[in-house]
Amino acid sequence: MQRRPFLLGCGCLALAAATGVRADEYDYQAPPRFSRPDPSSDEGGLWAYMDRQEQQLKRSSFLIRDPALNKYVSDIACRLAGEHCPEMRVYLVRTPYFNASMAPNGMMQVWSGLLVRMQNEAQLSAVLGHEIGHYLQRHSVEGLRDAKSRSSFAQILGIALGVAGGGNLGMLAQAGILASGMAYGRDQEREADRIGIALMARSGYAPAEAGRVWGQLLEESDGAKAAGEDVSTPIILFASHPPQEERREVLAAAAKRDWPGATRTGTDEYRAALAPHRMGFLYDEVRRRRFGESLVLFDRLLQASPRDGQVQYFKGEAYRQRGREGDTKLALEAYRAALEMDNTPPEVHRSLGTVLRQTGEDAEATRAFQRYLELKPDAEDAELIRSYLTGSQS
Amino acid sequence: MRLAPWLAAAALCALAGCAAQMVKVEPGQVTVKEALSLNTAHAWNRFELGQQYLSVAPGAAEVWTQDGITLDALAFFVGVAQGETLGRAIAGKKLPAFRSTMTPGEIVELYEQMVTQDGSAFALKRVAPGRFGEQPGFRFEHTITRKSDSVLLKGVGQGAVVKGKLYLVVFTAPSIYYYDRHLPQVEPLIASARIRAP
Repeated sequence: MQRRPFLLGCGCLALAAATGVRADEYDYQAPPRFSRPDPSSDEGGLWAYMDRQEQQLKRSSFLIRDPALNKYVSDIACRLAGEHCPEMRVYLVRTPYFNASMAPNGMMQVWSGLLVRMQNEAQLSAVLGHEIGHYLQRHSVEGLRDAKSRSSFAQILGIALGVAGGGNLGMLAQAGILASGMAYGRDQEREADRIGIALMARSGYAPAEAGRVWGQLLEESDGAKAAGEDVSTPIILFASHPPQEERREVLAAAAKRDWPGATRTGTDEYRAALAPHRMGFLYDEVRRRRFGESLVLFDRLLQASPRDGQVQYFKGEAYRQRGREGDTKLALEAYRAALEMDNTPPEVHRSLGTVLRQTGEDAEATRAFQRYLELKPDAEDAELIRSYLTGSQS
Repeated sequence: MRLAPWLAAAALCALAGCAAQMVKVEPGQVTVKEALSLNTAHAWNRFELGQQYLSVAPGAAEVWTQDGITLDALAFFVGVAQGETLGRAIAGKKLPAFRSTMTPGEIVELYEQMVTQDGSAFALKRVAPGRFGEQPGFRFEHTITRKSDSVLLKGVGQGAVVKGKLYLVVFTAPSIYYYDRHLPQVEPLIASARIRAP
C-alpha cells in the first residue's frame, strides 16, 4: 500500500499569504478521509487486531460510561480531527496514568490519569491533537513496517496474550501502549507535536497550553525525585517521546507564532465536565502511592482553584498514606485547611479523626468522627466508626 | 461449570511459567504457619505459591481454593508484624507498612493497596466490628474488579490484631455463582480460627 504524501504546507500557502501569516511547518493539511484497508495487507492485519481490542475495551468494567463526559471529550476530539471525525471513536478509561492513544482503526483511548492532570480544555486538546496527528500521518502503520518495531509489536502482542494474572496494567493498557508510544519514533513524535498544535490552534484553543502540559509533567517528576521516589516507571507512558524538556521548549516557541483567534482555554467548562468524576479520579491518584508526583499535582490544582476542598482533602490523604516522619502533622494541617474550603468531602472528618486518635487527641478525634457520622450516617464504615465512639472496639 | 482444580492450576502455571502445585488440605484441624489453627469440615486445595505473583493475594502465607484460585481464593495473612507489609509488592510498586496501632479502617486500606497494585478496582461495601475466632476483631465486605479480565469478585475478610500482630483471612470469588457457592464453607472455617502463640 502506498503511503499518502505528507501535504505539509502546500494547501495553506494561499491562505497564509492572504492573512499575512508566514507559511511554516505548522501549516498542516490533513490527508483525505481514510477507508478500511485491504484485510490481506499488513495494515489490514493491524486494523483487525485493533478491532478485537476495541471489542474487548467496549466490555471493560474500567470504561467510564457517563454519556455527558463522553460527549464532552468526543466533541473536543471531533473538532480537532475535522473531516476525519467520523472515523474516530473515543473511549474514556479509568486508569490513573497519563495516557491517550489512537489506534489506526480510529479507536482513541483517553485515561483518567490524563483527565485529572489537565487544567483546561486547551491542554486536553493539545494531547488529543497530538494523538490525532499520529493517526492522520498513519505513524503506527509506518512503525509496523519498520523491522525494529515489528519485533516490539510481536513482543507486546506476546505479553498481551500471555499474561493471565494481569501484568502491571493489564491487557487493555498493553493495547493502548501498542497503539501509541512504543511504536513511534522520535521524529514521528515531533511531527505529531507540530500537527497537534496546529489542530488545537485551528479549533481556537490557545497554543501556549500545549507547552504547559509538558512543563507540568516535568514538575511532577521533579517532585517525585525531590521526594526520593523511584522515577524509573514514570507517570507518562509515552516511552519513545522526545525528552519532555525539549517538547516544552519547542511547543512554547511554537505558541509564540501568530495564531489568529486561538485564545480559548475552556477552564470553567473543563472543570464542570470533570466535576462528577473528580472524587474518584483523585482517589485513584493517591492510590498509586506516587506521592511526590501527586502532591505537585494537588498544589498545582490548588493554585488554580485555592478553595478546592476536594483536592485539599486528598493532599491530606497523600501525607497520611505516605506516613513518613512529619507527615502526620502535614496531613492534619491539610485536613484542617480543607474544613475551611468549598466542596470538601465528608470523609475529611473520618481521616481527621483517624489521625487525631493516633496522636492522642481523643476529644477532637471523637468530635471529628461524630461529624462524619452526622454527614454520612449510612457510610459503609458507620458501624466501625460508631464502635470507636462507644469504645466497644479496641 | 466446575473446573477441576488441578486443571485451573495447571492452566495458570502454564501461563505464568511457574512451578506451583496443589496440595490437598484434608478435613480436620489445620495449622497455618504454625501460628493459626483452623478446623475445616471440607477438603481444600492449598496453592503452593513459590515466589510468583498471584494478583488476589500476593505474598499471602497460604492460599486455599476449591475450584482454582481464579474462581475462589481463601488467603491467610498470619502474624504480620509492625513494619512489615500486608502481602508483597509487585515490580515497580510499593506497599505501606503495617503498624500495630492501625484502626480496622486503616487495615482495610492496606488490603486495598495490596489488591489494587495491578490496577484492579476495589470498593468497600461494609466494615464493622466483628470476631476473629475467639478474638474481638473486624469484618469487611468488598468487591474487586479484576484488571486482567474485568471479572467482578466479591470478598469478605475477617481479622484481628493480637499482641501487635495482624491476622487476616480473606475470601474472594467471582460474584456470579462462586462466591455464594463457597461462602457457607468459609464462614465456619474463619469462625474456627485460633491464634496460637508463635
